[in-house]
Amino acid sequence: MAKVIELRQLHRLVTGKKYGDVMVLGGGISGIQASLDLANQGFKVYLVERAPSIGGHMAQLDKTFPTNECST
Amino acid sequence: MEGVSGEVGDFKVTLLKKARYIREDKCTGCTTCVEYCPVMVPDPFNQEIGKSKAVHIYFSQAIPLITYIDQSCLYLKEKKCGICETVCENDAIDFRQKDQLDQINVGAIILAPGFEPYDPRVVTEYKYGIFGNVVTSMDFERLLSSTGPYEGEIRRPSDQRHPHKIAWVQCVGSRRVTPGNNSYCSAVCCTYTQKQVILTKDHDSSAECTVFHNDIRSYGKDFERFYERAKNLSGIRFIRSYVTISREDPVTKNVFIRYATPNGVVEEDFDLVVLSVGLNPPKYSKELAQKLGIELEEHGFSKTEPFNLIQTSRPGVFVSGTFQGPTDIPESVFTASGAVSQTGQLLKHRKGKLATERVYPEEKEVAKEEPKVGVFVCHCGANIGRVVNVPEVVEYASKLPHVVHAQEQLFSCSTDSAKQITDVIKEKGLNRVIVAACTPRTHEPTFRDSLREAGLNQYFFEFANIREHCSWVHSMEKEEATKKAKDLVRMSWARAVRLEPLGEYELQVNKTALVVGGGVAGMTTALSLAKQGHEVYLVEREKELGGIVRRLHYTLEGLDVQGFLRDLIKEVYAHPLVHVITNARILNATGYVGNFVTRVQSDGFVKEIKHGATILATGATEYRPKEYLYGQDPRVMTNLELEERLAKGDESLKDLNTVVMIQCVGSRNEERNYCSRICCSQSIKNALKLKELRPDVDIYILFRDIRTYGFREDYYRLASDKGIRFIRYEPQSPPLVGVTDEGTLRVTVEDEILGNQLEIDTDLLSLAVAVVAPEGVEETALKFNATVGLDNFYKEAHVKLRPVDFGTDGVFVCGSAHYPKHIQEVINQAYGAAGRAMTLLSKETVTASGAVALVDQNACISCGACITVCNYGAISFEETPKGKKARVNPVLCKGDGLCTTKCPTGAVQLQHFKDGQIMAQLDAAKGETDILAELDRAVGE
Amino acid sequence: MAGVSRLQYTNEIRLIRVMCTGKVDLSYIFRAFSNGMDGVFVGACRLGECNYITHGNYSALKNVLIAKQILEHMGIEPERVTIKFMNSSDGQKFVEYVNKFTETIRRLGPLGEKRGKNLDKKFEAAQRIVPYVRLVERERLRTDLKTEEDHIKYFQREDTKRLIRELIVDRLIMSEIVGLLREKILSTNQIADEVGLGSSEVAKYVNYLSRQGLITYQEPVRGYTLVQ
Repeated sequence: MAKVIELRQLHRLVTGKKYGDVMVLGGGISGIQASLDLANQGFKVYLVERAPSIGGHMAQLDKTFPTNECST
Repeated sequence: MEGVSGEVGDFKVTLLKKARYIREDKCTGCTTCVEYCPVMVPDPFNQEIGKSKAVHIYFSQAIPLITYIDQSCLYLKEKKCGICETVCENDAIDFRQKDQLDQINVGAIILAPGFEPYDPRVVTEYKYGIFGNVVTSMDFERLLSSTGPYEGEIRRPSDQRHPHKIAWVQCVGSRRVTPGNNSYCSAVCCTYTQKQVILTKDHDSSAECTVFHNDIRSYGKDFERFYERAKNLSGIRFIRSYVTISREDPVTKNVFIRYATPNGVVEEDFDLVVLSVGLNPPKYSKELAQKLGIELEEHGFSKTEPFNLIQTSRPGVFVSGTFQGPTDIPESVFTASGAVSQTGQLLKHRKGKLATERVYPEEKEVAKEEPKVGVFVCHCGANIGRVVNVPEVVEYASKLPHVVHAQEQLFSCSTDSAKQITDVIKEKGLNRVIVAACTPRTHEPTFRDSLREAGLNQYFFEFANIREHCSWVHSMEKEEATKKAKDLVRMSWARAVRLEPLGEYELQVNKTALVVGGGVAGMTTALSLAKQGHEVYLVEREKELGGIVRRLHYTLEGLDVQGFLRDLIKEVYAHPLVHVITNARILNATGYVGNFVTRVQSDGFVKEIKHGATILATGATEYRPKEYLYGQDPRVMTNLELEERLAKGDESLKDLNTVVMIQCVGSRNEERNYCSRICCSQSIKNALKLKELRPDVDIYILFRDIRTYGFREDYYRLASDKGIRFIRYEPQSPPLVGVTDEGTLRVTVEDEILGNQLEIDTDLLSLAVAVVAPEGVEETALKFNATVGLDNFYKEAHVKLRPVDFGTDGVFVCGSAHYPKHIQEVINQAYGAAGRAMTLLSKETVTASGAVALVDQNACISCGACITVCNYGAISFEETPKGKKARVNPVLCKGDGLCTTKCPTGAVQLQHFKDGQIMAQLDAAKGETDILAELDRAVGE
Repeated sequence: MAGVSRLQYTNEIRLIRVMCTGKVDLSYIFRAFSNGMDGVFVGACRLGECNYITHGNYSALKNVLIAKQILEHMGIEPERVTIKFMNSSDGQKFVEYVNKFTETIRRLGPLGEKRGKNLDKKFEAAQRIVPYVRLVERERLRTDLKTEEDHIKYFQREDTKRLIRELIVDRLIMSEIVGLLREKILSTNQIADEVGLGSSEVAKYVNYLSRQGLITYQEPVRGYTLVQ
């Protein structure tokens, strides 16, 4: 139950504060998915990526296993 | 990211925005600057195999699809050149840009920094960077890719010849404790290598491919079949051996590899050697951890909570993807959704209050008006204009009947031009708009928006693609390209005059969720949804929650599973929004996304549940073996049975002298052609426990491939170090188990290394039995319109990109029902399913496109052809005064139009792609001379 | 991707966008031919990788294979219609397929030159029987095949061919005859001449149509007319 109490405290902490925006660090497939899911739920998202484009390593792959579907 | 201060709910993040030297709002991605740029640099996206310019677009599908200038630029280095600035017609080059510090306030942070491919240069043994024809698997991906340095042709570095004989070396940088290598297994290399082999054979069917490997770790969904597919191609060798990359032929530059065979070590040369490199933590992970104030685990990945791999050591900071540890794409995707769900638990009060909604003017009624078409032809800088004679196309378009306005634009997609379109619609009362520019994939929403801004239904917009389909692909044939552009505009015109206004469908979303299955997966999902304020019904077939995990007691890492389970069950019962129904049977389920109705029976009562989303978490069970004397001799048991005895503190286990474990019992065979994923780790976990009880016990693990992927590899090594013996057997000669006349349990197995029959008399035989789908899966699937794959595990909508969604909207999957998984992976995926369900449940309504099929019930002859082909279940019969007629539920229809080609009377038509609209376009494709005769016919109809 | 990669290909092709090749109907194929197109190219997602769960590309493949047999019976090279499977990123493949296809068509020459006087009528007739073909496909040509090769094999089987001949081609010829008679009165020999078949064969169809009460022999003019 320790976890529950901790979460409740966190929750109280959070409700008192004003920021509901989320930063997603990394614009690969995981970061993109996270950003999309967040935005779809009405969160404002900052997607931060080092490279000039999002896409990450997956964009560099030709196909993906095990279906050999195209990666990009 | 420069630094983070504050705490959960109130983080202050400092960001450094690197200067791009490009004005993002001005650049249209036309790449004229790239053409003129004199500086050639190795292209980082193509693993530096190909060349790029100092100003360039990162890759052809980059987002944003605009250029950037890197530090190799002459102007940035020496204030020389500046050609790009002169050639850019859009004033998008801006050398005065500086790196910018920004501060943002956020409530939570999700880390998805990914991984860094292992760099084999750190160890000379791999000869990368020393022998020209040794490349990494990442390099090879670029060679295979049609957007790669040789446009999809495989060429080797030394002489650009097509390599014919290619070798892959597995475990490069992985599963090695020598300096410069990683101790863990990188989890993805076995299967990506098989993929590369298959693709290489696609490129060159006579290619000879050799894979030098250790264990083949095909532990994921459908990986085993994939491995067989690769193995069974002609000219493929899988050789189990460590190798030395020994030398390079000074003339041919072929690379020699030394490897072991049953007849001793041999040396063989290859045209190209591919190093299957592993996954390192992200390059800057230490720096990142420091700035974020999070801890890293021993391998340099993010440290996480034992039973929640998404939670970092800092509250409010979550981690998804490969920063959790080496994982493949689907896991990176569902952990992302999982991180979102956990973020939602913290910040639910802020949800939906941050996005602002656009307000459009009311739509005008124009359907009955005479068509008034406006045509906008885009130059796209020089992209179209340099090849296609744009003024000529405009002139041509203006002469087409019903065209009341035609003009050219430099960049139709720029904000000014889009606004201009809106203004012209209003001013000239246009009711059809054609933009002749690029692909609808990128800019259709932009122009639909321009129509809506002018009070015109967005479906009156038509795109003619004269860039991707014309100027870019016929860049040397200006005249022909111009002619084709006219044809394309004319075809669009023919379609445009027949377009009809369409409404989009909105329907309410019920905020309640139904979770089927009360194991760890179901409970985790249910709690996560409840913590975000949603009512959840959790239904369980058994009388207790917990599922198969009730039989698990500890993990490979030594975690207390039962303690965790007890807390979880308590939390589920304690949460006011979670309603648990045990002993439950699903009677039936109806409805569709946002509006399901399911009837559940339990202990004599029937409850009707209305819910917006459904999550199937029906788990998996243990295979009951028929082989190896199971059920006949009490000394033979399954791994789980052994675990239960270990957990109970069975004293007799301390007296064991010898224990044998057999892997892959009921898995990886013809009947169940998949790997059960968890059993290697389970056996090792039990073996280590037995060693704790009695260090001198002899343990033999008879295996085919040990599949302790990821960090689990460390425990495999530990087991070896503790003297546990691993003996490999081939599927064609499996171990034999018998009882001698004296009553001794004897296991006979061929020892590959010693080359003889090994007889082991054992006190206990533990079987690593397959994980199988529980009974009734197909039935459940049918009720919820979900699909089941070959091995009776649920089939997700898309293996990579929608790993917890079903093709049926509003239904999700998680846990072992999807595929066997370790408990932490189950929890990851359960949060993922919750995150995906939240994208639906957090909305008041869902909107469906207007471009859906519709049935003219007067023409419907009730044959049901459309109903049969619609896998979305969007069409059904309804009773009408004229009898049973087909009806499309527009919310379920995805607009693919297959039904329309099956209807014998043409009663079902796909809106926006009606037969008449497509036929008109087909007719207009004719040569110009015929067209005038068709005009009136087209309009008149 | 061919476009984005700026791969150059033949300018003799005009693309029409549909959301799924499952939408590519036989009537579109025949309409294109009757509009003077010399070939029809269907570009589909790879089998088993349909963007939709309906797997419409299988349907498109079957349509193309049926169209090929109908074309063959019309005396037109079946190579004039083709279907190729690719990913959205296979720009290179698209170019290769399209160029190869145009080459094939160029070798076959314009359809117009080979057009007998009644080719247009044949295509019109073909369009008219599409609803009927849909029924045949549904009732008699259901398959659960997974690969392109298996489909091709299936359509090359004698029993499949016979089925198509009996159920579709016969219907096509009768549709064509009805079309001809809608315009003018013709004798069996004249019909044979128009549709390019022997008169005994035509007699078979004419008798059938008469028995069905669709056409009738007018003694005074020695020819058949439609029953109004």
